[in-house]
Amino acid sequence: MDYSDNADNNNNNENPDENDSDLEVSDILNFHTEKGTVIDPQSMTFSISGEEHTLGNALRYMIMQNPEVEYCGYSIPHPSEDKLNIRIQTTENTTAINAMRKGLEDLKSLCAKITETFCEANNKFDEKNSIS
Amino acid sequence: MDLFGPANKPEIRIQELTGERIRFILTNTDLSMANALRRIMISEVATIAIDMVQFDLNTSVLADEFIAHRLGLIPLDSTEADKIKYPRDCNCSGACKECSVELNLHVKCTEEDTTKDVTSKDLVSHDPRFTPITEGPKDAGILIAKLRKGQEIKVKCIAKKGVAKEHAKWSPCAAVAFEYDPFNKLRHTHYWIEEDEKKEWPQSKNAQDDFPPLDDEIFDFTAKPNRFYFEIETIGSMKPEDIVMNAFKKLLEKISSIQMGLHSNDVPINGREPTRDVF
Repeated sequence: MDYSDNADNNNNNENPDENDSDLEVSDILNFHTEKGTVIDPQSMTFSISGEEHTLGNALRYMIMQNPEVEYCGYSIPHPSEDKLNIRIQTTENTTAINAMRKGLEDLKSLCAKITETFCEANNKFDEKNSIS
Repeated sequence: MDLFGPANKPEIRIQELTGERIRFILTNTDLSMANALRRIMISEVATIAIDMVQFDLNTSVLADEFIAHRLGLIPLDSTEADKIKYPRDCNCSGACKECSVELNLHVKCTEEDTTKDVTSKDLVSHDPRFTPITEGPKDAGILIAKLRKGQEIKVKCIAKKGVAKEHAKWSPCAAVAFEYDPFNKLRHTHYWIEEDEKKEWPQSKNAQDDFPPLDDEIFDFTAKPNRFYFEIETIGSMKPEDIVMNAFKKLLEKISSIQMGLHSNDVPINGREPTRDVF
């Protein structure tokens, strides 16, 4: 199976001088550590530390389900760096942060739904086997 | 709730559930979700395992670090692993009752002309919730070392909570089988063949639960996988259904922690107003 990520094509995000606020490349938000500046609220790259493909791919899928999202892709820039970048570009009707918020909320409810389904299946299985 | 389109009314059918394995089919969800579940079960479900070993005495033929490694791999009952703290979250400096379990091992061979087996049954745990697992009273335990007359091992072990991402000894699963599309209708794989694909590639066990392609079926290039076959085999430290439940719990935790990170970013970014207020 191919797990190749939808690589982030906007290479201008990866500038090392991201704290220089007059660079237009500085639209990186890091959830856990440093903060960047935001030039365009419709297109942003979020940087999450401590996460990898497990969450990255599922979150990317969930954000893509939003019709207001034009582009969403994730990448792990380097395997020895504990970092996950998610790029979101949206239409005028929403912002990247809001798309991210919705994606997280949706993923949470889907996860809760599957948990529930599994519990039901488990109970059903127990019942069936205690009778026979 | 139809938030996620028709493809996301997930269903689960458990086919087999025993003390050490579970087989189930997850349907109507995306590959990314099924894969997240698989990855978490392999590497992020927390268990208890021996992490530090202090040797008071070792006159056996095996080196200290060799025995320490073997001790680390012994499965300990981890059904109540969530009652114990991660060492990094604990206020203590080394190891305390809230973040660790002490186990002792003291065996000496005194008999002539026989070898004495040191097994996981000789480990004495200070906490009855976290003991080396056994399969009934007839189980001989897991062999750690063999001693000859006069040889002795006396060690103190500290077991800690951890995840398999750090070391595989913390993995609750011996194997996680994951399959979709057993008939290769989606053509995600390419079979190397000499003459006949059907003769040379036996069907997987899951093929009988899937829908075989019609003889004249046209390749649907827009089709997406939506039926996932899981089989989880434990090492005995946890019940298989608990592994699945804990994996879901872990995924929810991950999402929540990111939501919190996003929330704390609501404060003005580099002195500017939060961007969401622009609109």
